[in-house]
Amino acid sequence: MAAGNLQPSVTRRICGFPKFLLTDCRLLMTNGYSSQDRRLMAIFSMARPELRKKIVLLSITVIIEGVAFIFLWSVLRETDTANTPVSSVSHTSEVLTRLLSDLNLILPISLLAILLGMACAFYLEEWLSATNWTRHFIESQTAFLTGIPSLLYGLLSVVIFFSYVGVFKTTRTMLQHNTALFYTEALIFILMVMPVAIKTTQEALRSVGTPIRESAYALGANRWQVLTKQVVPRAFPWMFAGGCRAMSRALAAAALLIGIYTWNYTTGLRGLPDRFMLFLGGALLLSNASSFLTEIYVPASTQQN
Amino acid sequence: MQTTPTNYSIETENLNLWYGNFQALIDVSVKIPDGQITSLIGPSGCGKSTLLRCFNRVNERYGNVTTTGKIEVLGKNVYDADVSLPELRKAVGMVFQRPNPLPISVYENILFGLRIHSPMRSITRTEADQIVEEALTSVFLWEDLKDKLKTRATSLQLEQQQKLCIARLLPLKPQIILMDEPCSALDAKGTLAVEELMEILAGRYTFLVVTHNMAQARRVSKECIFMFLGELIEHRETQALFETPQHSKTADYVQMRYG
Repeated sequence: MAAGNLQPSVTRRICGFPKFLLTDCRLLMTNGYSSQDRRLMAIFSMARPELRKKIVLLSITVIIEGVAFIFLWSVLRETDTANTPVSSVSHTSEVLTRLLSDLNLILPISLLAILLGMACAFYLEEWLSATNWTRHFIESQTAFLTGIPSLLYGLLSVVIFFSYVGVFKTTRTMLQHNTALFYTEALIFILMVMPVAIKTTQEALRSVGTPIRESAYALGANRWQVLTKQVVPRAFPWMFAGGCRAMSRALAAAALLIGIYTWNYTTGLRGLPDRFMLFLGGALLLSNASSFLTEIYVPASTQQN
Repeated sequence: MQTTPTNYSIETENLNLWYGNFQALIDVSVKIPDGQITSLIGPSGCGKSTLLRCFNRVNERYGNVTTTGKIEVLGKNVYDADVSLPELRKAVGMVFQRPNPLPISVYENILFGLRIHSPMRSITRTEADQIVEEALTSVFLWEDLKDKLKTRATSLQLEQQQKLCIARLLPLKPQIILMDEPCSALDAKGTLAVEELMEILAGRYTFLVVTHNMAQARRVSKECIFMFLGELIEHRETQALFETPQHSKTADYVQMRYG
């Protein structure tokens, strides 16, 4: 019976990942090894495709984040508004008006993103199976995005916003249209709040535990009844707390936007000191390392629905 | 056996079940007679619980499960298109290894099953009171709990919780009650209480009990099924199975040479 576990097709079915990553574990399944060797190999060949899949996914995320961070740094280094005549009263009031009107819309959008994130968490946790590839992918990405300090998102918004309004010399022409600016800002806010909403809601749903679900299902409840009558009432405080946490990130980033604007208005924005970005880079690196390690060594989901 | 083929409550034919590529049940054909206690024994991982979970299709929740063969519960194939899962699970109740009452009051626990199967507000207050009293009386909890109906069910003693888990099935009027090691989380006194309860209820319901405790199988069940590595090895009357096992694997197991 145990022989059923050794077939390579088992591993393929479980992780559903490109075949080229699995080839060498099949070569391991040849004769000429002692039974203990083969048992060990079977264990590794079960574990390795999973691990490799995760390492590939996570490395891609780390690289994208690294590139974004270096871009941010380079823009901020070359910032020097002292020689740019932007601080005329009409210009600043125009910028402030635009910033505030954008924020007025972006915050409700963040709220909607949080609700969408909660719905997404319900789908991942209650509908998709624990071995589903999409679920693995989204879970590993949310693990990273929740770890990133909201200050970094805020800074990214600042750079994009002021690039448009012409404070930064280097990227003055990066965005030409008001709507494009608005959508970019909205996207950054969504990227900031949605992963937090997904992750906290998933944790809330997991906290309800299998025994409660099992006993309700065994009494003949359907999925909807189990969710509405047992799971949600118990998970609600956690979900609400998660929503608050996500919204607090959005508000903090919005506050940073307004703060940086005021700073620029009163003193003129000179290049941020390298040490500021070094500290921020360190924070990003450590949060990535923590997400990487927890994703690799803790199974993405151990729960059976 | 004095039973005739017409009163089998569960019948399976060539039942095979896979979790992914791992075959957990191999050609299991079994007939569970009506109105008595049948126990399932065998070493860990031999498919006892899997077989049990086939009968109310709780297995399907795990995903990646493939089943072939026929499972007839109360004369109806459970995989027919017109079988509704809620109705099936209403007729086939289940008690789990660890007592798992819902974290609501004792009163609401007993009514939960009934409420999900009936339209909103169709149960009046007096009916509800009566149903709760009947259910608790039949598991001998009424005297202990009549003043504690509003307490949270999870704060009761384990033995009371497990009895409550049996009691909450009764208002649904099930015909079969599946039990997955119902006493393994209980102490000797709790075990005895649950066993007595099973014996008293046995006439009214068909019990199918998975157990690791052979003494328990011997005490409570009329018929006994021995499984080994996904196959059904022997199914006979309990006394015959324990005293004159026909298969060498059964003999080894019941004489505790392994397991």
